[in-house]
Parts: sequence; structure tokens; C-alpha cells
Amino acid sequence: MEASRQSPLGRLAELADRDFPSLFAARERSVGGLKKRRDDLGKLSHDAGASIVLMGSWGRAEVTTESDDDFMVLVYGEERAEVEPSIAEVSGVLDNPPGSQGIFAAPVYSENLVQNIGLDDDDNRNLSRRMLFLLESTAVSGDDVYRSVRAEVLDRYLDESVKPYRPPRFLLNDLVRYWRTICVDFAGKEREGRDKWGLRNAKLRTSRKVLFAGGLIPVLECFRFDREPMREFIERQFGMPPTDRIAQAFLENEATDEGGRALAAYDEFTGRMNDREFRQELQSVSRETADDSAAFSDVRRIGKELQAGLLALLYEPTRELSKVTRDYMIF
Amino acid sequence: MMGSVTKSDPRESIVKRHHPVGASTGYMQSLRGDWEAQVAEAWRVSSFAIELSALSESELPSLAEYLRQTPSLPFRYVSVHGPSKGRQMGEEQLVASLAQFARLADGIVMHPDTMDDLRLYRPLGHKLLLENMDSRKPDGRTPEELHRAFEEFPEAGFCFDIAHAWSIDPSMAVANELLDSFRGRLRHVHLSSLSEDLHHVSLTEEDEELFSPVLRRCLDVPWIFEAPPQTDPT
Repeated sequence: MEASRQSPLGRLAELADRDFPSLFAARERSVGGLKKRRDDLGKLSHDAGASIVLMGSWGRAEVTTESDDDFMVLVYGEERAEVEPSIAEVSGVLDNPPGSQGIFAAPVYSENLVQNIGLDDDDNRNLSRRMLFLLESTAVSGDDVYRSVRAEVLDRYLDESVKPYRPPRFLLNDLVRYWRTICVDFAGKEREGRDKWGLRNAKLRTSRKVLFAGGLIPVLECFRFDREPMREFIERQFGMPPTDRIAQAFLENEATDEGGRALAAYDEFTGRMNDREFRQELQSVSRETADDSAAFSDVRRIGKELQAGLLALLYEPTRELSKVTRDYMIF
Repeated sequence: MMGSVTKSDPRESIVKRHHPVGASTGYMQSLRGDWEAQVAEAWRVSSFAIELSALSESELPSLAEYLRQTPSLPFRYVSVHGPSKGRQMGEEQLVASLAQFARLADGIVMHPDTMDDLRLYRPLGHKLLLENMDSRKPDGRTPEELHRAFEEFPEAGFCFDIAHAWSIDPSMAVANELLDSFRGRLRHVHLSSLSEDLHHVSLTEEDEELFSPVLRRCLDVPWIFEAPPQTDPT
């Protein structure tokens, strides 16, 4: 808990006179859960180039009592037939493993993540895996493999095209592409079926937005750095939970009041997601019934407060960051 | 500061540079009773926010009727200012009347010195916003006085009237103390200067300069003009 209090989120809490009790509780829950999973999953037989990586709320250090154990088995190199540990072995150890139809619970090969950026081979699944790997992931085994692949992905984004004292456009464009993909896919999933519309919508307004902002803001902040320190800055930032990246930006842009309000709103959402009734109401709500749902009404308010703080950070003309946002976000 | 980005003039008006602004219909005396005209006038100020002001209780029925016939308004932030004068109806009936706006409005602003039985307002939940009062009022002016009201409403928000705070303390220390105390609840700002008899008038350049350090603490919330905003002479 002491380490959490010394984090950027802890410093923002102190300066903004806020508690963020649910976010700090989620961090504690994440640390405890990760230790258990490290112990359990570490006993599985591993190929030399394999790493078990937890994603989603584990990567954000925002585990709630209802969180899934979203994971992938990261494999260094090209696609191959057999990988140890197998997906079935990992799923067998975890309490709440995801289904195998989505982007999780699959072997993921570093060559696809690193080499297939853009063009046809970088399909929706590959893009999502790469972005989630970069923005919200944590290794529970094979730490060296995990670190090597992250370094290679960053090498690709921060290549010779990066200019000093400007946001790295290649990474910026892919981040924006990913966020817009999530938003477009939300509409696509609604057309396929209305199951879980409310929960998906709630996450889009909150945790997905934090994920995107937690990547976007450090990338825009790169305008402060020459090429070498820029790489160090991005590595340091992406090594922290997204809420720390966002909190640090509010602190460094002297926006503690706005930061306190934005992250207090997100703290409320994180706390409410521990409440099974709240989650169930969100799961059952539809576009047609949303106006009658107290839970969805709260999510709307929370989402607006979170977004208002982020927009003030990014766009208020009194801050230097707003000039970078204006110059780089659209074109 | 290193980096290659567009520069702007730091002397430029903080109010003109702030995007989330809106008009209160409370200053549109000549259009009183014609909600459609008031909304159109507010739209000319900003498409972001509006405060529909029913400061007199007699305005509540016509506002309710207007909103019944106008299911959507062209603003992203809508607040309703509840009555502080001409009060006739019982408080229970007043709260029921305000509750009908809760679905449409992001906030319902009330003057704490006009609220007697605070428990009756609890159903308004997050939608209830308490405004700090000016020096003429007997209550709701300072952090200490507002604390008594906010204790009853754990979910209520804070409508920060910066000119009212100035009337209590022109050094703006009380304004900062109000934000220190209630910054977590801040939902919007009321922005104007005050006349000698403490009525809202257009924000003067001198007041804007005086208010700017305090306004910089409120950049994420709408600023609602309580008097016509200054326009460029050009």
C-alpha cells in the first residue's frame, strides 16, 4: 500500500485531497492475485521462448472481485505447431479464464506483433493484441521474453522516422487507430446482437477510455524530449499502470484539481464494478432501456466527468500540451 | 520549453479561450416567459451548455411545459436553476416539481439559504447542485456554512459562483477556500461581475484578471455566464 501511495496516483491523491479508495484497493488486489498466479503458473513447463501474460484489468492493476483472467501465451519468434505451456494447461490453473474465440487465451507470436504493423496481415486481432500487450499487460512467467518483445515492438514504433521534440507519429497513429477500432467494433457487435450492450458501453466510457488516454497522453508528451530520452520516457511510462500515466500528466501539467475529479470518477466506477448487482444491471440494460437504468445513468455521469478532465488536460489552451494536441491529433 | 508546437498569446482572455461555456437564461429579462427565444439566445452564446433559469417559482410550470414539448435541446450540458424567490408551494411539492427535470438536466442548482427541510431534497441525488451565496445572504456563503448543507447530501455537486465568493472576500481567499473544500464536488461555475448592489453584470476585464487564478482550477467544468458575455468591439 505504501508503494501505491508514492506512485503518481498517490501523489495526485494527496495534492487533490482525494482518496481513490477503490483504485488503491484494486492495486492491492492485483498485487496479491499476481503473486498467486505467478506461483501457480510458474510450475507449468515452459518453452525457452514462452511467457504467460495477463491482460485487461491485471495489466491496468485494476482487478475487481469479478475480473476475468484474460491471458495470452507470448512466444518469441515465428508461428509454430506446439507451445508449452498449452492454452488448456494455463486455463486449467486460472480461476476465471476467457473463452478461446476472442483475442485472449491463445498463443501469440512475437513476429506477428513486431513485423505485421499495418497492411493486411495486421488484422483486427493482431492490432488488438499488440496494443493491449503494450498498454495493459503484465508477465506472470518468462519475464525476459516479455521484456524482449516489448522492446522489439517499441523499436519498430520508435524507429528512424521519429523526430526529436515531436510526438512519434507512427505510434500515435496506431494508438488512435486502435481506439477508433474499439469504437467501431462496438457498433459492429451491436448489429450482431445486443447481448452485453450496456456493459460494453460502460467500459467504452470508462476503462477503455483510460486505456486509450493512458497511451495517448505519454505519446503526446514526447514533444518535450530528444530522441534518446523519448524512448526512455515511453518505456518508463508504459511500465506503469495507465492510471499512473494519467495521474502523472495531470501533476506535471499543474492540473491537480481536474485530475482529482477525473480519477475520482474513475475510482467510483472501479468500486462499483465490484458490486455484482451493478454489473448485472449493466449487462442486462439495452439501448432502449438505458434511460431507465440507475446504474447506466451513473455510468453516463462518471464517463462525462472522466472525459471532461481528460479533455481539459488535452485541450485547454492555457497548457502547452493543448498546442501539441491541436497540431498532431487530427492530421 | 522545447518542442515545435503552435504558440499562443498568454495575454489572451482565459474566458474567450475556455471552450465549455454557456449562458444562463436568467439574464434574458426581455425574453422572460418565451423559453424558445431564451434557448435560441443561449445557443448564440454557446452550443455547449445552457442554464435554464426558473429563479422565480412562477416560471417552473412554463419551463416544465416547454421541456415536455421539446424532448431534446441542442446542448451537451443542461442545468436547471431552481427557484429562490416568489416561493408559494410547499417544499415537498417543490422537490417533486424539480425532480421532473432530473432526467433531462445534468444538474439542478439550488440556493442553500432557501432550503429548509434538507432531507426532502435527497431524492435529487447527484443532480442536486448547491451554489455558494453572496454577502447579502444569511447563509451558504462560506465553506463552514456550506459544509452544514453538504453534510446532508453526500452525492450533491457544487455550483461555484465566483462573483458571489468575491463579494465575501475581494482578495479571493474565500474563493480558493471554497474550491479547496468542495473541489471534488465541482460541476459548474457561475461567471460574472457584480454591480454595487450585488446584481450580476457582465464580467469586467479587471475581474477577469482577478478571477483567472481561481478559474484555472475549474478548467474541466462548464462556465455559465450569469450576465451577457462581453463581445469583441469589432
